[in-house]
Amino acid sequence: MGTAPDPVAKLLAEYEALERAYSPGHHGVWAARRRAELVDATLEEFFERAGAPPGTAVAAVGGYGRRLLLPRSDIDLLVLHDGSDGDAVSALADGLLYPLWNAGFQVGHAVRTPLECEEACERLDVGASMLDVRRIAGDEGLVTDAAARVEAWARRDPRAFASAIGDDAARRAERFGSAAHLLEPELKEGSGGWRDLHSIWLIESAVGTELLRAREREALVGAEEFLARARSTLHLESRKQGDRLILDHQPAIARSMGFEDEPELISIDGLMRALFEHARQVEFILPALIERVLGEGRPLPDPPGSPVEMLDALATEAEEGREPSAALLDAIERIEMAEEIVWDAGTRQAFFRLLRTGDRGAGALEILDRLELLARFIPEWAGVRCRPQRDPYHRFTVDAHLTSTLRAMARSLAGDGAADDPVQAETVKQISDPDPILLGALLHDIGKNGEGGHVPVGARVVGSILDRMGVEPKVRDLVGFMVAHHLLLPDTATRRDLSDENMVLDVAAAVGSSERLAALYLLAKADAEATGPAAWTPWRRTLIRELVAKVQHVLDRGEMGMELAEELTDRVDRVRNLLGGESDPEVDRFLRRMPRSYFLNVEPARAAKHFATIAPSTGVKEVRAVHFEGIRSGTYELLVVAQDRSGLLSWIAGSLALAGMSILTAQVFTTEDGVAADLFEVEGVWEQSVPDRRWREFRGTLRRAVDGSISLERRVDEKRRWYPAPKVPAPVTVEVDNVASDFATVIEVGASDRLGLLYDITRTFADLGLDVHLAKVATYEGRVVDSFYIRDAVGRKLTDDLEEIDRALRVRLEA
Amino acid sequence: MKLVTAIVKPHRLDEVKDALREIGVNGLTTTDVEGFGRQRGHTEVYRGAEYQVDFVPKVRVEVVVDDADAQGVVDALVKAARTGKIGDGKLWVTEVEQLIRIRTGEMGPDAL
Repeated sequence: MGTAPDPVAKLLAEYEALERAYSPGHHGVWAARRRAELVDATLEEFFERAGAPPGTAVAAVGGYGRRLLLPRSDIDLLVLHDGSDGDAVSALADGLLYPLWNAGFQVGHAVRTPLECEEACERLDVGASMLDVRRIAGDEGLVTDAAARVEAWARRDPRAFASAIGDDAARRAERFGSAAHLLEPELKEGSGGWRDLHSIWLIESAVGTELLRAREREALVGAEEFLARARSTLHLESRKQGDRLILDHQPAIARSMGFEDEPELISIDGLMRALFEHARQVEFILPALIERVLGEGRPLPDPPGSPVEMLDALATEAEEGREPSAALLDAIERIEMAEEIVWDAGTRQAFFRLLRTGDRGAGALEILDRLELLARFIPEWAGVRCRPQRDPYHRFTVDAHLTSTLRAMARSLAGDGAADDPVQAETVKQISDPDPILLGALLHDIGKNGEGGHVPVGARVVGSILDRMGVEPKVRDLVGFMVAHHLLLPDTATRRDLSDENMVLDVAAAVGSSERLAALYLLAKADAEATGPAAWTPWRRTLIRELVAKVQHVLDRGEMGMELAEELTDRVDRVRNLLGGESDPEVDRFLRRMPRSYFLNVEPARAAKHFATIAPSTGVKEVRAVHFEGIRSGTYELLVVAQDRSGLLSWIAGSLALAGMSILTAQVFTTEDGVAADLFEVEGVWEQSVPDRRWREFRGTLRRAVDGSISLERRVDEKRRWYPAPKVPAPVTVEVDNVASDFATVIEVGASDRLGLLYDITRTFADLGLDVHLAKVATYEGRVVDSFYIRDAVGRKLTDDLEEIDRALRVRLEA
Repeated sequence: MKLVTAIVKPHRLDEVKDALREIGVNGLTTTDVEGFGRQRGHTEVYRGAEYQVDFVPKVRVEVVVDDADAQGVVDALVKAARTGKIGDGKLWVTEVEQLIRIRTGEMGPDAL
C-alpha cells in the first residue's frame, strides 16, 4: 500500500468526525449525502491505486446510488466491465472491496457487463437497485450504457413494473408489519418505511413523468428526512445495523431526536406519533401511485366542490363498492375547505351514509385522515391521531383502533359472525337505528387523548362532537351512553361476581334498556375484535354473555329499568341524607351491600331507622331484634338481623307464634356476604297492644332456638293443639319456578292462615337444607300468599328434584 | 420446592394477588382457562336464543415456593379465593424438581 495515508483509515476518521459533529438525533438526509461523498472519494482513490484497466468502471447502486448512506447502511457497488479482461476485473474488484470489508463496512457488490445488467433485471430487487446506478470512477460510457438498459427495462412496461413493486411491498408488509402503527416498527422494510418510500421514487422514474401531487411530494420529502434521522439515530445508539425500533431503544432515540415529555404525550409516544404520521403518508401514497399508473382513469363526471359534496361523492363510491378514484382524490384536494367545517343536515346525512357502508366507509375516513381533512370535521380527532397505545392488548394506534372498531361493528350489524354467536344475532334485532351504534363504535375511545381517564374524558369530548354535529337527541343519547359505558360489560364480567344479584341489578340500572344493553354488547365485541386477534376469546365472551343474559332477564322481568333505576338512586340518596353524611364508610357499606330490593321496598325513613341494627357486623350466634310502632295502629314493625343460615326464618316465625304474635307481612333480605335482615309486620293475637313481656319472650325463645337449646317444633305443635284449624280450609297451592330468577328458585305457596303457618313452610325448607334468600309474605282475608326465593346450601338455584319440595310442602301444610 | 396451582373464580384474582403479595410471594403466573367440575356447563338464554355453555371461565394461578412457605401460600390462596358458593375452584400442590432463573442461570431456591 506504500506510504500514502490509508484511504480506509481516512474514511473511518471522517465517519467518526461526522458522528461527532452532530448529536445522534440530527443525522438526516444531509449527513447521509455527506457519507456518500466520503465513500465516493475513497473509492475513487482505490480505483486509481488499483490501476484499473480501460473498459471498467465502479458505480454506486441502491441507496448509495441515491447518495444516501446512513451510519450502518450497506455500501452497494456495481463493478462494470466490457468483458474483455476477466482477470483484471477480478483484481480490480478485490482492490476495491477487501479494504472496506477489512475495516468492517458492509459492502454489497456485483460484477457485470451492461448486457448482464439488463439480464439481471429479471430479479425485481436487483433491477430496482440498478435504477439508481451512479458512476463513481472509470469508464463513463459503460455506466451510461448500463443505466440506459436498466431504465429501458423499467420503462418497457411501467404498469408491470409498478404492479411488481406493489406485490413486493405487500410481501414485505406481511413479513415486517407496518411502520405506521406497530409499537416496535421496522423502519426500513416495514410498510410505510424507507423501502416503500424509495419504491415511490422508483415508480416515478420508471414512468418518467411527474405523478405525485405537490402535497404528496412535500409529505414524502418530510418522511424521507424523518426516516433518515430515525434510522441513523437507531444505528448510532444501538451501534448496530438493523432497523427494528425496539422499545429498549425508544427512550434514548426520542431524547436524541428532541422529543420531550409533554403533559399529554410522553416523549416516546411523541417519537412514535411523528413516525406514524410520516409512515402513514408513505403507506397511503404508494398504493395510490400504483393505482394511478395502473388505473383506467375512470372519468369523474361531477367533481365535488364543497365538503358536503365530497362526503357524498365518497359515500357513493363506498356504496357502490369502489375505492375512490384518483380523479376524485385530485378533486378533493382542490376543494377549498375551512379549518373547521360547519355541520349541517347535508353533512350529517352524507357522514352517516359513509358510516353505514362499513368497511369502505372506514376506508374513506382513513383517506380523509391521510389528506388531513378528517380533523376539520371532528377536531377532537387530532388528539387520538397516530397516538400509540402501550398496553399488552392493543396493536394499533388509537385512531386506527377506532376505524377498525367501526368496521367490526358494521360487520356485526350486517350479520357477519352471527352463526357462531346467537347473542349477536338477537342483539342486532334490538337495534332500531344503526347510525348511533356505528358512530358510538367510531368514537368510543375518543377520550384517549392523553388527558388520562379515557372514559370520563371521552364522555365529555363526545358531548362537544355531538353538539357540533347537531344530531337528533335520540342519537345523541345513545352515542354518549356508549362512549361513557363502553367498558361496563367487559370490566364487570371479568372482574365481578356474576352470581351477585346486586351487581347485576346495578348494571341493569346503569344500562336501563334492552337496546342500550344490545349496543354495549355489540360494542364490546367490535372493540375486542378490533384490538387484536386474542382479545375476543371464548373465555371473555362467555363471561360477557352471561352478564348480558342476566341483565336482560332483570330488565325483562321489570326488576330494574330506567324508572326504577331513578327511583332507586333517589331512595338511596334519601337514606344517605337521613343518615346525615356523604363519606361515612359505614353508611357507604350499608348502602352498597343491602339488596336493591330492600331499598325499593322499604321507605327511606324506615331504612334509615334500620341502619343502626343492620350495619354493625354480626357474631355467629348473635341475633338482633328491634321493633317499632307499625304504620297501622296495633301493628308493629319487627326487624331481625342475624347471620343467615338454613332455618333462621323458621325460628323467627316459630318464636313469634309462641309469643302470641301473628305475622301480617314478612320481607326477607339477605346480603351477598350472608347477613339476613328480616322484616315483619306483626300484630298481637290477644292484645291490641303487645306488652313488653311478649317481646321479651319472643327474643328469649328466638335466642335459644338459634343456639339450639330448645326444640320449637314440639312447642309449636303443643300450642297448636289448643287452637282449631279454619273451618273451611282453602286449598294449598305450591308453585315452583326455576326460570323467574337467575339467582334463586322461586316458590309460591298459598294456604289458609293458621297459627304457625309461616313456621311450617319455612321449617320444611330448613329440613331440606334450603336457604330463604328473599321472601314476601302477605295475608289477605285469612288467606296467605307467600313467595320465597330459595337457594341451596352453596348459594345457587336449585337443580335437584323440585318435585320433592312440592311434595314436602303439601304433606306438611295439608296435615 | 413446591408448585402451588389453583383454579379460581376470575373475580377473586385481585384478592388472591393481594393476599399472596401480603405474605411476600413476589411472582406468580395466571392464565385464563375454561373447564368444568361439579359446577357443570349450563344452558343460557338471551331473548329466546338458547346456547350451551360447556366450560366455565376460570383463572389458573401458579406459584413456585420454598417448601417451608408452601402451607402459608396454600392457606392464603384458599382464604382469598373462597366465596362459599359453588365453583370456588380447586388447588393442588406438586413437587418441583428443578427451578432455573433463565436470565442469570441461578438454580433451586436461589431462583425463587
